[in-house]
This record gives sequence, structure tokens and C-alpha cells, in this order.
Amino acid sequence: MNAPQLDMAAIAPLAFAAFGALFVLLGEVWLTRRRTNEHFINAALSVLSISFLGLSVYCAGAAFSDGTTRVFDPANPMLSLDRFAAYSIALIGIASLLICFASISYLPQVGINHGEYYALLLLSTAGMFLLVGATDLMALFLGLELMSIPLYVMAGFDRRNLRSNESAFKYFLVGSFASAILLYGIALVYGVTGSLGFDAIRAGFPPGNPIGIVGLGLLVVGFAFKVASAPFHQWAPDVYEGAPTSVTAYMAITVKVAAFAALLRLLTQAFGPVTASLSDLFWVLAALTIVVGNVMAVIQTNLKRLLAYSSIAHAGYLLIGFATGTVEGYGAVLFYLLVYVFTNLGAFAVLMALAQGGRDCDTLDDLAGLARQRPGLAALLTLFALSLAGIPGTAGFVAKFFVFESAVASGQTVLAIIGVLGSVVSFYYYLRLPVQMYMSEAATETPRRHAATGELLVLAVCAVVVLFLGFFPSHAPGVLGAVRALEWARSSVAMLY
Amino acid sequence: MPVPLAHVIALSAILFAIGTVGALSRRNLVVILMSIELMLNAANVAFLGFARAWASLDGHVMVLMVIVVAAAEVAVGLGIVIALFRNRESVDVEEVSLLKW
Repeated sequence: MNAPQLDMAAIAPLAFAAFGALFVLLGEVWLTRRRTNEHFINAALSVLSISFLGLSVYCAGAAFSDGTTRVFDPANPMLSLDRFAAYSIALIGIASLLICFASISYLPQVGINHGEYYALLLLSTAGMFLLVGATDLMALFLGLELMSIPLYVMAGFDRRNLRSNESAFKYFLVGSFASAILLYGIALVYGVTGSLGFDAIRAGFPPGNPIGIVGLGLLVVGFAFKVASAPFHQWAPDVYEGAPTSVTAYMAITVKVAAFAALLRLLTQAFGPVTASLSDLFWVLAALTIVVGNVMAVIQTNLKRLLAYSSIAHAGYLLIGFATGTVEGYGAVLFYLLVYVFTNLGAFAVLMALAQGGRDCDTLDDLAGLARQRPGLAALLTLFALSLAGIPGTAGFVAKFFVFESAVASGQTVLAIIGVLGSVVSFYYYLRLPVQMYMSEAATETPRRHAATGELLVLAVCAVVVLFLGFFPSHAPGVLGAVRALEWARSSVAMLY
Repeated sequence: MPVPLAHVIALSAILFAIGTVGALSRRNLVVILMSIELMLNAANVAFLGFARAWASLDGHVMVLMVIVVAAAEVAVGLGIVIALFRNRESVDVEEVSLLKW
């Protein structure tokens, strides 16, 4: 038997993240033995994670500009690094890296300064890299679990806090329930095709077989749970509210990118021929998710809950792209994910910068009087809220525009109208943030801390991306030009066909 | 005489249904955990039945993977249950209701 020809470059991003997790664990033990200052250990581990994630992102970027498809084991293709995977990996990697930066000062502020945090974050990120590169249902399932299991722990990271316990517990129950459903779907798909590889499924999936249809349905339901799409969304607000803010940011942003990217690849590469018949299903999911997310967000008074419902609503807009089933629609989805990452990360980074003295800043009342005390943070939060709402001049508008445009172009006009109406409703609850910050005063004034360097860096990056993508769609350099970023997204999707 | 594929799949479907109903209706955390394990094992039974029908090894390998993943999941799940129990002295899901609406 010949030794398999393995292409190590195909797993470079994944390997850097996974080895990074091991180094962080070792590093923590090594540093703690020397009884150095706790803040120093935290910062050192964070920098270690950031450098490993940086290497991952660098590899993904190189693979993206290279444009060739690398398969880890060509004889038995399970994991590949192609343009699509590279785009998603770069996006997830950058988001995780920025969250590491913001966590340096956030973790000590809320008193959960433990090194395992970064190891878990890196492991989960490695799972996401595996998930978006998987071209086999086995790799897909492994990636999904490697992504989810560390996240259950991270949600309960503040283990003396009952809310954090409850968040972890709910996330664990719903997450493993969803995984079991997804796994049964994989089993049924395997039953009708006799294979787990995407290419073989594409060739051998019988369109009319009821077992196959049930299997595909269970797969979609499993992913709907993971991306918190209505009617499978009830867990998200509870989990997002209870988890520490940095973990909430991580869950809301990277998990959504990874799950949507994996679903996109699954629907095009594995189920390409039958995807058109799912269009109605996605239509219903998208419409329900937009309505539920936006309506429920209106009555929230907890900021993290509000952002959770807002992220449900955004999942609805993303599902519009899936309902179209065209390359333009999928390209718009990938571009939307890019905008979603930076806008939401910015909003969460402001909340992280406002946490102090063991307390998260998580109710609307906590924002009262912020404009006078910290005008910079107030202005930034306003910018990100406006971008989430989709005001012209921000990235959020451009992203929504591309999604709705693709919906209209493929004849889904009603869905586009529902999306627009949903965004109109969303203006109400997003504008409550600036109103609270600029127009009301806190009953008892507590001094607020200054934002730390890491948080400022994250805020600056997010603000620049949001503004440039919104203001100069066609003239800005590199990724900052929305039209070019959209081209990249489209070319990543086009290679899946 | 080998067991027919239909019987294997029927068994796995019944196990999956029992697991799903258990996970959705039970109130004790540990029982819910067991129900979820039952769902995973129902999928394992289906994998093995299909693997034999197609004479392919993929299903067998997948089952090994699922067993490993399930073990990891249970370890984390029990850890979370213990953390919750320490703070609250109860494993009844009805009482875990700080976060709602």
C-alpha cells in the first residue's frame, strides 16, 4: 500500500489554530509556575493566540489570492482549502483575532481571567476552519462538534455566576440536540447515496427518494438551530444574555459565519441539483426569522438580548440569499457576512469596553449619559447601531442592498419587501441606543473606566471598515471597496459550482 | 439469516423518536443528557445498517467518530451540570429560568 500524498498546505490554517491551543495551554502552566502577575499571563496568552490566528489568516489570504484548490488527501477528499474556504477562514480568523485583542482587558474587568479561555477559543476556531473547508459529511460533523463543544464551556466561563451557568446549560442542551438531529440527517443521506463525500452525494443523490428528502430536511434543521433561525431560535437570546460579553460576541459572529458558510457549501457542492426545490423552505425560514427577530427585539431592555434578536433578524436577511439559490444571492450572503462581522464586533466591543468592576454593561439604562462621559464610545456605538439598521452611508446598507437586489433579480420580490419592512422596524430599536446615550442622564453617576488599547484597536478597525465600505463602494483600496469585496465573495462562491 | 436492512432502520428510527421525545419532555437534566445520547446512538445504528447494505467502510468509521464526539460531549455536559448543581442544588430544568423573554 502506497503512502497517501498529503498536501499539508491545505490544513495550514487549521493546524496553526489547533497547535496554538496546545501552546496556550502549555504556556499557561509554564507561566503560572513562575508566579508572574495574572494580568501579564493573560496578555501574554492573548498575544500568543493572536499570533497563531495571524498565521492562519495569513495562510488563508495567500491561498485566496493564489486561487488554486488544495485538497488535503486527493485520493480521499475530505478537507480542501479553496477560494471559498480561504475567504471564510480569513473572515473567521480575523474576527477571532480581534476578539482576543478585546478580551485582554475585558476578562480581568469581569474577573474571569483564566488562560483556558484562549485555548478554548482557538480550539473552537479550529473547528470552524474545519467546518468551512469540509467536503465530506464526516469532516463536517467533526468540525461542527469541535466548534460547539468548546463554546459550551466558554458560555459558562463565569462559573460562579448563575446566569452564565444557565447560559452554558441551555446552549449545551440545544446545541447537542441540534447536532444529534444533524447527525441523523447525515445517516439518512449516507443511506440513500452510500457515501459521505460531497462529490459522490452530488452524483448519487436520488431526487425523489423520501428517505433522502427527510435526511436533507434534518440537515437543514440542524443548521437552522446553529444559526438561530426562527422557529429554532428560542435558545439564542437566553444564551447570549447569560454568557460573558466577549463570548457572546464570539458566538454571535464567528459561529454564524462558519455555519452559514458550511451550509452554503453543502447546498451547492453536495446538493446542487436539488437545491432549487428547497427554495420555498428557505423562503419561509427567512420570512419567519426576519419577522420574529425584528418584532421581538423591539420589546427588549437588555442590550445583549437586543443584539441577540438583532442577530436573529440578520440571519433572516442572510437566508434571503439562500432562498434565491443563485450565484448572485450566495455572493451577497458572503459579502453580508463580511459586513456583519465588523459591524457586530464593533457593537460588542463597545459593550466590552464599558464592562467594569466585575459587572457587564448589559442593560439600556447602563448607557444613560454615556455621550457626556465617553463621547467617543457613544459616537462609535451610534455608528455601529446605524450600520446594523442599514442607514445609507454605512456598510450595513450596502450589504442589505446587495441581498435585496439579488432577491428581486431572481423573482423573490415579496421576500425582499418583507426584508425592507423588517429593516424599517429595526430602526426603532437600534435608534433607542443613541437616544439613551445622548438624551437621558443616569440616575446615579458612576465613573467609567477608559477603554484599553486592545479595545480601541478593535473599535478602530471595525469603524474604518464600516465607514469605508459604506461611503466608497467602488473607490477604496483592497477589501475596503464594497464592489471589490463583493467580487471576491462572488468568485469564492462561483468556484463551488 | 442476516437481519434485513428495513428492521435495522426501523429500530434506529424508533430509538431516535424515543430520544427526541425524551429530550423535549423530561425535566431532569441527566435524563435529557441520556436522551440525547440515545439520539446519537440511533444515528449510529442507522450508519451501521447502511454501511452493511452498501458494503462500505465509511459508515463504520463515522460510528467511531461519533462515539468519540459523544464522549467529549457528555464530559462537557456533565461538567456543566455539576457547575450548575454547585450554585443551585437542583438539576430540574424547570428551575433553570433566570433568563427569559
